[in-house]
Amino acid sequence: MREMTEFLGREYKEMEKQGLTWVIKSLNGPSEPHVEVEGKKCLMLASNNYLNLANHPKLKEAAIKAIEKYGAGAGSDWSIAGTMDVHVELYKKIAEFKGTEDAVTFQTGFAANSGLIPQLVGKGDLLISDELNHGSIIDGVRLSKAERAVYPHSDMSGLEKILEDANKKDYRRVIILTDGVFSMDGDIAKLDEIYKLAEEYRAMIYVDDAHGEGVLGDGHGIGRHFDLEKEIHFQIGTFSKAFGSFGGMLAGSSDLIKYAYNKARTWLLSAAFPPHVAAANIAALEVVEEEPERVKKLWDNTKYFKKEIESMGYDTGNTQTPIIPTIVGDSKKAKKLAERLYEEGIFALAIVYPMVARDKARIRNQMNAGMSREDLDFALNVYEKLGKELKII
Amino acid sequence: MKKVGFVVNPIAGMGGRVGLKGTDGVVEKAKELGAKPVAPLRAKEMLKTFLSFDSEIEIQWFTCKGDMGENELRECGIKDFKIVYSSDIPTTAKDTKNACERFLEERVDIILFCGGDGTARDVFETVDKNIPILGIPAGVKMHSGVFGVTPEATAKTLQEFLEGVLTTGDVEILDLDEELYRNGEWKIKLFGTALGVIEPTYVQVGKATFESISDEEIKEEIADYIIEQMNEEKDTLFILGSGSTLYTIGRKLGIDKTLLGIDAVLNGKLVGKDLNEKGLLSLLNKRKKAKLILSPIGAQGFILGRGNSQLSPEVIRKIGLDNIIVVATPSKLASTPFIRVDTGDRNLDKLFAKKEQIIVIIGYRLMKVVKVQTNNL
Repeated sequence: MREMTEFLGREYKEMEKQGLTWVIKSLNGPSEPHVEVEGKKCLMLASNNYLNLANHPKLKEAAIKAIEKYGAGAGSDWSIAGTMDVHVELYKKIAEFKGTEDAVTFQTGFAANSGLIPQLVGKGDLLISDELNHGSIIDGVRLSKAERAVYPHSDMSGLEKILEDANKKDYRRVIILTDGVFSMDGDIAKLDEIYKLAEEYRAMIYVDDAHGEGVLGDGHGIGRHFDLEKEIHFQIGTFSKAFGSFGGMLAGSSDLIKYAYNKARTWLLSAAFPPHVAAANIAALEVVEEEPERVKKLWDNTKYFKKEIESMGYDTGNTQTPIIPTIVGDSKKAKKLAERLYEEGIFALAIVYPMVARDKARIRNQMNAGMSREDLDFALNVYEKLGKELKII
Repeated sequence: MKKVGFVVNPIAGMGGRVGLKGTDGVVEKAKELGAKPVAPLRAKEMLKTFLSFDSEIEIQWFTCKGDMGENELRECGIKDFKIVYSSDIPTTAKDTKNACERFLEERVDIILFCGGDGTARDVFETVDKNIPILGIPAGVKMHSGVFGVTPEATAKTLQEFLEGVLTTGDVEILDLDEELYRNGEWKIKLFGTALGVIEPTYVQVGKATFESISDEEIKEEIADYIIEQMNEEKDTLFILGSGSTLYTIGRKLGIDKTLLGIDAVLNGKLVGKDLNEKGLLSLLNKRKKAKLILSPIGAQGFILGRGNSQLSPEVIRKIGLDNIIVVATPSKLASTPFIRVDTGDRNLDKLFAKKEQIIVIIGYRLMKVVKVQTNNL
């Protein structure tokens, strides 16, 4: 017999049995290093709020003023009647910040990738993707009609092999897609080498810098980090991570921007984000420029935590950024560690198989510019205690 | 409760120690030359590792009397097992087969055997693709895809299979081509595809939730894509290699493709079936353009030199290295991170080695780059 909604409950229970469901814990206040999670005080190691801007007074003030001036919502899609001058101001600010001709925002970074990628290519084109790219790139690639080639993570000889092979075929367009900073391991894409290969083999470069913005290149992202701001053809980003607010972005040539907002269905068919979000985003970019000590503090914290936790005997993999994984082995152990961390007052996420390899289950620790040396020492002490307790170190 | 059938071929591997290329039919000679049993040690290494895992799975063991399994289980401290078969001494291939028949009757979940390619063939010939089989490597030849890399790795594979982490799929059974061997030629032949234990292929559906896609589905996808390519290239001769991925392509093309042989297709029609070297060359001499589609065969990821000796160096040169298309399911690549070639022609192998990496089609419009390794270079 044809089934009705009973599959919902049945499949949920199945996921629950396998420990795959999200147990959502809500915060009782703003996202900051010190948070209250369902009544329990914790040190936050699981947020993307790298620069501690989510509760910054300047962002809040800008948002409040914008609500007073523009109201709570945009009233329409950006394409029809939802674009306000504060949105346009933000586009200019992004382009300036990213060193590109123009920019536009998307509802989220996910909407940017899944909406834009399928519009850039079609039959007879080739998309080349790092095997560890974010799910939103994967979905964008899946939605396209192009051929798809995957290279082993950051393996430049593998990428070159694909490009070489592509030159033997008659592809109309070739785009290399990569995360700027990889979200599970915290390593940086080798964009300098990717750029050289792209030049040599006549390919375009598409970078999603969600975890690199606010972190690399004095906060300006991977383009500034490698001095390739103009050379990256498609720069995707987000305000929802280091910039402490919300929404996705696309920066590049003015041709790209006009093309993108006329073609990307996610942009065209959903509402503009509220004006106060745009105002907060502008304030965020200003704070990053006006308070360079934030980025510096983030890196100081990163270096200290990484050095100390490694010296205890934890494996942090290949991290080069404030995403510092503690790789503990199998999934059960990682889940157990996350549970114990929470009991000890640390909020951190376990990343398990098949999100990562079976023997590489881990806790993903994310640094924050708002954490003090005492905060880090507290976290390190807990890690040392639990590492011994669970026989990890 | 999981049921495991466990059989040891006590003479497997003995030939190797004394320089013989197998132990089939030469066990007495091997003993004379001073060969010592290998299989019991390997089986015990595997069992010891397996028992060291912290596991809640209950196992019911089925085995054979004496040195065909009972001794090894007992020596490793497993007391609770059922003997389902007793053999005469000395044991022969027939005994492995009889034991497997008894395992089938007992409806075991998996057969764990210890031996080499000859033993794998005996097991496969009895159980076909009815239940999964897993080999503890102890033979002289181990080209088949059913073996763990080491006894320890085999233990881990068994554990993960019983836990449901690993799944089952096609693996190739390869062994020496005895006919050719009698004429002094050393060639490895493909005997069939058995049900082995493989790595599942996952696709992310949620953030932490993944769905596994069966190898069969992926083979269909690969076939759809290859057929699209074939349709675009009129008048190109397509030579299809052996194995189940290529077989799926043949089935979807609607031709009567052989599972174990090399076949040729032109404009969607079968123009050569189960071709030998001569047949391939004569077809190639008639066509201007030809492409060869291959999939890795057996345990080590060989696309050439295992199970397809028809594809001689001359055939490969005629087709041209750039006209070889490699297809594989992600599970296959998970078990063998390299693509290997062993054409028997050093210079040709060198040309492959120079490529360093090769593009492998792993799904519909989906490719992956994989490293190449060649033998003896």
